[in-house]
Amino acid sequence: MATTATDFEKQWNGRVQSYRPGPGWKRRIAPGVTMHTEALDAIDPVDFEVIRQKLWTINIAHGDTITRISGSPVLATLDFNMSILTEDAEVVLNAPYVQFLNAGAPLGIRYILENYGDRPGIDDGDIYCCNDPWIAACHQMDVMFAAPVFIDGKLFGWVANAGHQYDLGGIVPGGWPQNAEDVYSDPVVLPPFKLVAKGEMRKDLEALYLRQSRLPDMVALDLRAQIAGVVFARDQVRELCTRFGAATVKAAMRAMLDQAQANFRRKLALIPDGVWSETRYVDEPLPGIRNAQRTQLTVTKRGDRLKIDNAGTDAQTLGTNGIPYCTWSGSITGIISISMLFEQLFAYGGSERQIDYDPTPGTLTCVNHPGATSGGILHAVTMMNAVQAILSRMMATAPEIKGDLVAPTADFALPVLVGTNDRDQFFGQAILDSFACGSGARSFGDGVDTSGPTYSPLSMILNVEQLEQWYPMVYLYRKDDADSGGAGKWRGGNGLRTAITPYRARSMSIVTNTGGQGATTQNGQGLFGGLPSPAGHYRIRRGTDLTAWFGRGALPGDIADLDADETINLSGKSNGTDLGTGDVFEVRIGGGGGYGDPIERDAPLVARDFGLGAISAAALGDVYGVVLDEHGGVDAAATDARRQAMRDARARWPHTPWDGHNGAPVPATGEAPRLVHEYVQAADRGGERVLECANCGERLSAYDQSFKTGTLYVEEKVTALPGAPDPAQFLDDAMVLRRYCCPGCKTQIAAEIARGDEGIFPEMRLIPPEG
Amino acid sequence: MRYIVGVDIGGTFTDCVVLDRAAASGVVVRIGKALSTPPDFQTGFVDALGAAADMHGAALPDMLGDARIYHGCTVGTNALVENKVARVGLLATRGHTDTIFHMRAGARLKWMPSHYIAHVARQTKPAPLVPKHLCAAIDERITFDGAVLVELNEDQARAAIRRLIDEGVDAIAISLVWSTANPAHEQRLRELVREVAPAMFVSISSEVSARTGEYERTIATIVNSLIGPPMRSYLDALGGDLAAHGYRGDLQIMSCTGGLIDADHAAALPVLTIGSGPVAGLIGAANLARAAQPGGTSNVVTADIGGTTLDIGTIYQARPLRRPTASHGQYEYFVPTLDVRSVGSGGGSIIRAAEGVLKVGPESAGARPGPICFGRGGREPTVTDAAAVLGYLDPDYFFGGRLKLDRDAAERALAALGAQFGMDGRQTAAAAMRIVNSQMADAIWLTLTQQGYDPRDFILYGFGGGGGVHAAAIARELGMAKAVIPLSDLAAGWSAFGITASDALIALSDAVSMASPFDAAPINAHWRSLEQRVTDRLVAQGVPADAIRLSHHAELRYALQVNQVPIEVEGGVYDAAAVARMVTTFEREYERLYGKGAGYAAAGFQLTSLEVRGTAALADVDMAAIGAGEAGDAATPKGHREVHGRSGTVLTAIYDGARLPPGHGVAGPAILEFPDTTVVVDERSSVGIVAGSVVIDLNPIKDA
Repeated sequence: MATTATDFEKQWNGRVQSYRPGPGWKRRIAPGVTMHTEALDAIDPVDFEVIRQKLWTINIAHGDTITRISGSPVLATLDFNMSILTEDAEVVLNAPYVQFLNAGAPLGIRYILENYGDRPGIDDGDIYCCNDPWIAACHQMDVMFAAPVFIDGKLFGWVANAGHQYDLGGIVPGGWPQNAEDVYSDPVVLPPFKLVAKGEMRKDLEALYLRQSRLPDMVALDLRAQIAGVVFARDQVRELCTRFGAATVKAAMRAMLDQAQANFRRKLALIPDGVWSETRYVDEPLPGIRNAQRTQLTVTKRGDRLKIDNAGTDAQTLGTNGIPYCTWSGSITGIISISMLFEQLFAYGGSERQIDYDPTPGTLTCVNHPGATSGGILHAVTMMNAVQAILSRMMATAPEIKGDLVAPTADFALPVLVGTNDRDQFFGQAILDSFACGSGARSFGDGVDTSGPTYSPLSMILNVEQLEQWYPMVYLYRKDDADSGGAGKWRGGNGLRTAITPYRARSMSIVTNTGGQGATTQNGQGLFGGLPSPAGHYRIRRGTDLTAWFGRGALPGDIADLDADETINLSGKSNGTDLGTGDVFEVRIGGGGGYGDPIERDAPLVARDFGLGAISAAALGDVYGVVLDEHGGVDAAATDARRQAMRDARARWPHTPWDGHNGAPVPATGEAPRLVHEYVQAADRGGERVLECANCGERLSAYDQSFKTGTLYVEEKVTALPGAPDPAQFLDDAMVLRRYCCPGCKTQIAAEIARGDEGIFPEMRLIPPEG
Repeated sequence: MRYIVGVDIGGTFTDCVVLDRAAASGVVVRIGKALSTPPDFQTGFVDALGAAADMHGAALPDMLGDARIYHGCTVGTNALVENKVARVGLLATRGHTDTIFHMRAGARLKWMPSHYIAHVARQTKPAPLVPKHLCAAIDERITFDGAVLVELNEDQARAAIRRLIDEGVDAIAISLVWSTANPAHEQRLRELVREVAPAMFVSISSEVSARTGEYERTIATIVNSLIGPPMRSYLDALGGDLAAHGYRGDLQIMSCTGGLIDADHAAALPVLTIGSGPVAGLIGAANLARAAQPGGTSNVVTADIGGTTLDIGTIYQARPLRRPTASHGQYEYFVPTLDVRSVGSGGGSIIRAAEGVLKVGPESAGARPGPICFGRGGREPTVTDAAAVLGYLDPDYFFGGRLKLDRDAAERALAALGAQFGMDGRQTAAAAMRIVNSQMADAIWLTLTQQGYDPRDFILYGFGGGGGVHAAAIARELGMAKAVIPLSDLAAGWSAFGITASDALIALSDAVSMASPFDAAPINAHWRSLEQRVTDRLVAQGVPADAIRLSHHAELRYALQVNQVPIEVEGGVYDAAAVARMVTTFEREYERLYGKGAGYAAAGFQLTSLEVRGTAALADVDMAAIGAGEAGDAATPKGHREVHGRSGTVLTAIYDGARLPPGHGVAGPAILEFPDTTVVVDERSSVGIVAGSVVIDLNPIKDA
C-alpha cells in the first residue's frame, strides 16, 4: 500500500474506517506508560515448559471463572473467549471456544495504548471495556474487558475476555436486528472506556452501561463475571511473575510467540508460492431484498509470508450484510489457529507476524461507520468457511500438513422463538441446534456427523428436556439429516433436522437469522471436486393434523408425513412469523463440504451410508454411481458400468471458455513432479513447467494459470445437489453449480457455486519460482 | 467377624487389604497383592485373598470362614474398554433415537485433553454404543409437566421389541423423553419386554439415573445394559469360587456413589460400579480426615498416583465433593458419583522431546511395556525411570525387593534424550520430575479453582504407587502446608483399604421441575416416597432398619441462571417455613461458591432434584485403632544413598518407615521406605509419623 504511516493512521483510526495499528503505532504510546520489556535472553527449557503449562491453566481458569460467576445460559454455551497478551498486545494464548470472538483484544488494547495512555491513563488495577465494532468487537453484543498487568510499575502484559450479552438495546431485543439499515438501529456502540479505575468500579459508567439494556440486571451479572475473570487472570499472572521472575515469564511468553511463528513459517515454507481466492455470497441485505451480495477473499503466499485482501467484495449498502475489520481478521486467525497452529493450543499470536492484511474499506467485509454490524455477525462463519477452503487447498499441496485440513462446515442457521407461555411469562431465545452442524470432509476420511462447528470445537447443543423446560414447545424430533453433508470421495458430515410444535404457549413467533447463503443456496463448500453441502431451510406447516396423530398414539417421523393447510419456507432473514397450536416448525441444519470426486468413493462405503440412512437413493445412484444388489450389497459390475456411463457423460461437457493451453509457457524448473491439489500436479514436460492431471497425465494449464482452463465443465441448477432447495424461491439472482473434470480421465476435480453472471473462479494461481 | 476384607481389582494388580480385628496389638492390617487375571477376574481375586491370608499367618478357608468381604470391581470398566459387552437394543421415543449419535456435539469433548480439542482435523466420534439398526423408535410422548401427550402405542412397541429380539440382542435399554417426570411408559415397556423375553436384562432410565437431560440419562442406561450380562456372570462365578473356599457371607460391592451395595443391586445397576476404585480411595481418605486428622485439617485434596493416571479428589470439611456425571471416553452419562477427575499423568508417563521442548506425557508406557527400569521391554524413559535415576527408589528394594530395577538402562535413555538440551541423564531426570510435578499440581489447581476453592486452604494426601514420591513436591507447588501419606504403607493399597472403611449407601433421587413459590405438598410426597425406597433397599441389603441414617438433599438454581447447586436440607414434613429455609440454604451456598451478589433472585428459583441418601455402618473400622496398631522403635536411618536434585547430589538418610516411632520428627532431606511405598522428603521439609500416617511438614515460605 502506498500510503505513509501517517496517512495510514489517519485513515484507520476507528472513526469511519476501522482502527488498525499502523506501522509506527508504538511510537504513539504516551511517554507516561512504561512498558516492561525485560526478558531473559535464553530461557531454560524446563522453566519454559512449566510456565507455558501454567499460563495455559490460568487462561482456562479465567474462562471457568466467567461461566461460574455469571451463571448465564448464553455464557454457559461458551459464547466467549479469553486471552493472555504481551505488553504490546500480541496474543500469547487464546482458548478453544468461538475462535474469532476475542479477536478484538489486540486491536482494542493497542487503541487504548495509542489514545488513552496519558488521559485517562493506564494504571495498575484498571479495567477497560469496549464493544465498538470499529475498534475491538466482532459485533456490539460481544463486549470486551481488558486489564493491564503491572509488575513494579511497568506494564507487563494484558489479560482480556469478550463475551456475548443478553441485550444492549437497539430496535430488536437480543441484539440481532436483521432490519437495521445502519448502526443507529443496532445495539449501543461503546468505544473503550475505563470502567474500573485503580481497582474501583466507576459507578457512573456502570450505570451508563447498564442503562442501555432491556435486561440490566442480567447484564450486570455478566459484567461482574467478566470483570472477575480478568481480575483473577491478572492476579495469577502477577503471582507467576513473583515466583519465577518477570523477566523469566516474559521470556517464556516471547518464546511461545516465537514458537508459533516458527511453526507457521515452517508450514508456509512447505507450500508453493501462489494466489488462492474464494468468492462467497451473502443473501438479502435487508429482509425481503431478493439479491445476494458478493464477498471475495484472496490469499497471496510468497516464501513464508501471506498477504490477505478482500478485493472484489461488494461495497457496503444499507442493511446487515457487513462485518467490520475486527471480525474479518479474526475469522482468518481463528481458522489458522485450528488448521495450522493446533500444536500451540491456540497460541496464534506469532502467526500474525507473517501476515500482511490489505482490506479495502467501505466493503462488506470491512464496513465503515455507520454501517449496521450487529445483525451480520453470522457472516463471520461464511468468512471463516472462505478462509478454511483457501487454507485447505494450500495445505493439500504439502503431504506433511495435508492430513490437517478440513473442508468448510455449515453456515449458521439461527431461528429465534419469541412469545409468552401459558403462565404469561415472556420468552425469547435462539434455538442453537446449529452448534450440531456437520463438519467438512478431510483428506483421509469423512467429516463427522453432527460434530459441531470446526471453528468452535467445544460448542454444544442442549438437551431437549432442558429446552422444553425453558420454552413452551415440544420437540417432535431432532434427527440426522440424509444428504446434508456434501458428497465426495470423502463425504461431509451430516447435519440435522429439528421440528417443534408449541405446547402450553400463549403465543409464539419465529424470527430467522442466517449466515451467508445457508437458507437459499449452499452451506459448506466442497474441495477438489467434492460437492458443497446443500442449503438448509426454515419450514412451517400450518394447520396440520398433528392432534389426530397424537390421538391415535402416533408421532410423525417427518413433518412431510402430516396433512397441512399450508407449507411456508421462511427466508434467511425474517422478522416474526406466528406459530399456533397444531402448526409445526422445522429447521434444517447443514453439514460440511465433501472432498474429492464422489464416484471415486469406495462403493461399500456408499452402500453402508445408504443402509444407515446417511444418503438418499438419489445420491446413491446419481451422485455416487453405485448400484446395489437385492441384499443391499454392492453390485460391482453394475456399479462399474454406471460409473463409466457417468464418466462418458462428463466427456460430453464443453471445454471451459478459457484457452489456457496457449498461455505463455513457464520454463521447466528441473524439480520432480509434485502434487499441488488432490488431482493436479506440477511437472516438467517438454521444457515447460505445467499443471497436469495426477491421475492420467493430461495437461491442464501452464504452471501459473488456473488448472481449470484445461478442464471440461458443466453448469447446472443448484438443485442438482441431492436435497438442495431452489435458490429462486428467495433470490432473483441466478445461482449455478459448476463442476469441472479432467478431459483425459474425466475425474471431477473441482466444483463451485457461483452467481450465473460470474466468470469461472480461478481458485489457485501458482507463482513460478523466479516470480 | 474377625476379618474385614477389602478387595480392589485394578487393571494390573488385584489388591486385598485384610483387617484383623482380634490381633493382640489392636487392629492389624496386611495387604496381599496378586496379578489381575482378565477376563476371569475371580481367579486373581482368590489369589490376592490367599496372599493376604499368608501375611496374616492364617489359612484361607479359616480366614474366609470368619470374614466379611467388600469388593471394588473393575469388571464393568474392563468390559467397556475391551468392548466385551452385551449386544444391546435401545427403545427410545420416536424422533429422539439419534440423540446418542449427536452426543450433544462439542459437549462430547468437554473432558478430553487440550491437544485433542485443538487438533480438529483428527477429532472423531467414537463407535456408537448401540448401532443404529438396534435403536427402535417408540410412539409415545410425555411432556415436561408429566402429562401424557401421546399414549404408549403398545402394538407398535411389541413389534419393535420382537424385532430387536430377532436381531439377537442380549440386553435392552429403555430411555424415553421426560420419563423422569412420569415413568409409566418406561415401566410398561419393561413389562412388554418381559412378556416376550422374561430373562432379558433390561434397564430403564428413570431407575438408572433419574435426572433431567435425555442424552446423559440414555447413555447411563445403555452403559448399564452393556455391562449387565458380563457383570451378572462374573458375580455368579465369584460367588461360586468364594463359597468353594469357605466363604459363607454375602458380598458387598463398592459403588461410585461412595458406599457399598449388595451384589443383587450391583447386578441390576452395574453402572454404579464403574469408577468405584478411585471413589473408595476418596472415602478412605475422608474417613481418615474426619477421624484422625493427620496433618491437622479435614480439608484435603487426594492425589491417587498410578502408572497411567493421576486421580484427583476433593474433601472439604471431611466431606468428599460429588458430581452428577461420569465419562466413558467421549460419552458423558449421569451417575451419582464422588467427584474424581483423572488426568493422564503418572509413573508410566513418557518423557520425550517435542519442538525443542522437554515434555512429559500424556502418553504412557502403562504396565506393559512399562518403564525401562522394569526390564520388561520398555524403551522410552518414564517418570518412574526418572525416580530411579534420581535415587528416590532403591533398585534392590522396589516393591519390597520383588522387582529389581535396572537404573543404568534408565539413565542411559535419559542421557540420550537430554543431550539435545545439554543435560546428562540425572539432569534430564530432575527436569522431567519437575515438569511432571508441576503438571500434576496444575491439574489439581485447575480442579480446585473450578470447584471454587483455594488450594492453600487444603493439605494433600498422596497415595497409590507414586503417592509417596510426588506428594511433597506437588503440595509445595500448590502452596500447601502439609502432605500426608495416609496410613503409610497402606497408601499402596489405599482403594482396597477405603472399601473396608465404607458404609452401606443408597442414594435415590427424583428429578423435578418446580418454579418458586414452591408448594410443600409435592415435596413431601417425593420425600416420603424416596425415604421408603431407600429404606427398603438397605433392608434388603441386610441392614437393620434402625441402623439407617437418612439425609435429604436438594438441587436448586436461580430461574434465569444455569448453575445447579446441591445442598443438604432438613428431613421431616415440609411447610412454608421449611421451604423458605431450603431457599435460604441454597442462597447461602450459592454465595459461598460463586461470590456475593452472583445470584439473581428477582426472577425466582427453580427446584430441579430431590435426593435421599441412606447410610449404615457395616464394618465400623476405627481409624485411630489402626494407626496405633504397630509402633516402631528405630529412630535412626537404616542407611544413606545419593539423591540427585536441581541443586546437586545430596547424601540422603534412608529410614525404614515401618520402624519410625510415632511422633518422632526427622529433618529432610530423607527418604522413608516401606515395602510398597517410598516417601521422598526434600531438604526444606521435616517428616514424622502421626496416627500411623506419614506427615510431611513443608515449612512453606510465606510469599507467593
